[in-house]
Amino acid sequence: MKQHFQGYRRANGQAGIRNHILILAIDECAEGIAQAIRQKVSDCVIVTNHYTCMYGGNEELVNIMIGAGLNPNVAGALILNMGCGSIDPALIAAPLEQAGKPVRRLSIIKNNGTRQTIRQGIELAQELVAQAAEVPVEPVSISELLVGVKCGGSDTSSGIASNPAVGRAVDALVDAGASCVAGELIELIGCEDILRQRAVTPAVADKLERLILDEERRWHVPGTEVETMSIGNSVGGLTTLEEKALGALHKTGTRPIQDVLRITPQGIEQPQAPGMYLSETSHLCGASGMHFAALGAQVILWTTGGAGFSNPIVPVIRVSGNASLITEDIDVDVSGIMAATQSVDQAADQVLDCLDRVIDGEQTAIEEVGFAYCSLYQKDQRLETLIHSQPV
Amino acid sequence: MTVKAIRLDQQDNVATLLSDASKHQTVEVIDDQNQRVGSFQTLQAIPFGNKMALHAIAAEQPIRKAGYDIGRAIRAIPAGELVHVQNVRSSRVDIPDNIIEQIIQQMRIETE
Repeated sequence: MKQHFQGYRRANGQAGIRNHILILAIDECAEGIAQAIRQKVSDCVIVTNHYTCMYGGNEELVNIMIGAGLNPNVAGALILNMGCGSIDPALIAAPLEQAGKPVRRLSIIKNNGTRQTIRQGIELAQELVAQAAEVPVEPVSISELLVGVKCGGSDTSSGIASNPAVGRAVDALVDAGASCVAGELIELIGCEDILRQRAVTPAVADKLERLILDEERRWHVPGTEVETMSIGNSVGGLTTLEEKALGALHKTGTRPIQDVLRITPQGIEQPQAPGMYLSETSHLCGASGMHFAALGAQVILWTTGGAGFSNPIVPVIRVSGNASLITEDIDVDVSGIMAATQSVDQAADQVLDCLDRVIDGEQTAIEEVGFAYCSLYQKDQRLETLIHSQPV
Repeated sequence: MTVKAIRLDQQDNVATLLSDASKHQTVEVIDDQNQRVGSFQTLQAIPFGNKMALHAIAAEQPIRKAGYDIGRAIRAIPAGELVHVQNVRSSRVDIPDNIIEQIIQQMRIETE
């Protein structure tokens, strides 16, 4: 594996593998205007807050939007708001400006409405793209790489092929000095004892167990059953809940867990030193992409049966072990494990080879299509109050 | 064609079938390095993606897959038997009995 990648060095010292301009529509009603600007200016990606233009517990979303803007793959940002909502665009712009990132703001009502804002927006976005083109590319140590790890669209092949292969790749990345972060704590119910042993301190072990329990409560309001196993899972070969969870756990490798990063209305915890991390990143695919973006990940490894998820800020490398579902959307085919023609280590090498190319600028299988969705996700603050009203 | 199964960790007492195996079929077991571990005879039909006991497992012994305990045997499991809901229980949250019945029926698992 390589020790360096070709990175875009940002003013705050971070390094990205892409050089995107982010158009941030902080009110849902600014989405169309953001799209109209993007049609005229390439290299722009859009994030829209489709929730509401009010706060009301929306601070977590605001922090994710700020985190997305701070992501090292983002060279600069154009922030759009309508002008009648509560979310103050200055609050989102300030941390980006503080990080030395070029930021422009347009408030649609103040800018005489839609057409005028689109015209100005195109000019500002073009300026930002021109500025981004000046950003120096330099060799960056692998220790500055943060890789998100996620599974989805899982099937029988995931636990045998793609998750173990990515797990080995994650171990190799951590050993080389890089950082990896996985989330979906709800999928780790039953793995608490193993995870506790991997935690670097008892405090991290306790935090980990508490956050998994929180996630179980969140998706299992008293009076309902938590969905753990389907009959389809069992017919496919999964015997117990822990077997299912361990399949998901596999992709996190075996290295010590440095911390569990919280995503709260107060802020988003960031990795403080290289290593393996867990996070509160959602198990919902689209939401996880934005969580990884907000954590500062430059790239995501995604294990799957078939294909599906993508993110405009953080390129997603799709790894599948299901020969019948390998299409041109899949970046790494590890179905050789299922056919007994390839070892897990060989498959892990394939994953790392692909990662090496993507962090040096090669596009992922669908990145060039230019379209990827993003979902902003936040916990329901009323439910948070409810689950924390009980003793932990 | 030879039926193969993969044993993901040295300590495992089960291997996962990489294609369907019929009753009394010889299964070649490989490890995660794709090295041959040995040949085993199935005692019953075991579908793709399911697990086969690599040696006799006593009642109450843990089932180990990929280096981890994934549950406990509820009775003695002879080598070559399907290791699944009919002879294993979770140490955490069990599948309800009526669902286990449905799984056994749907998969036509021989329980004797």
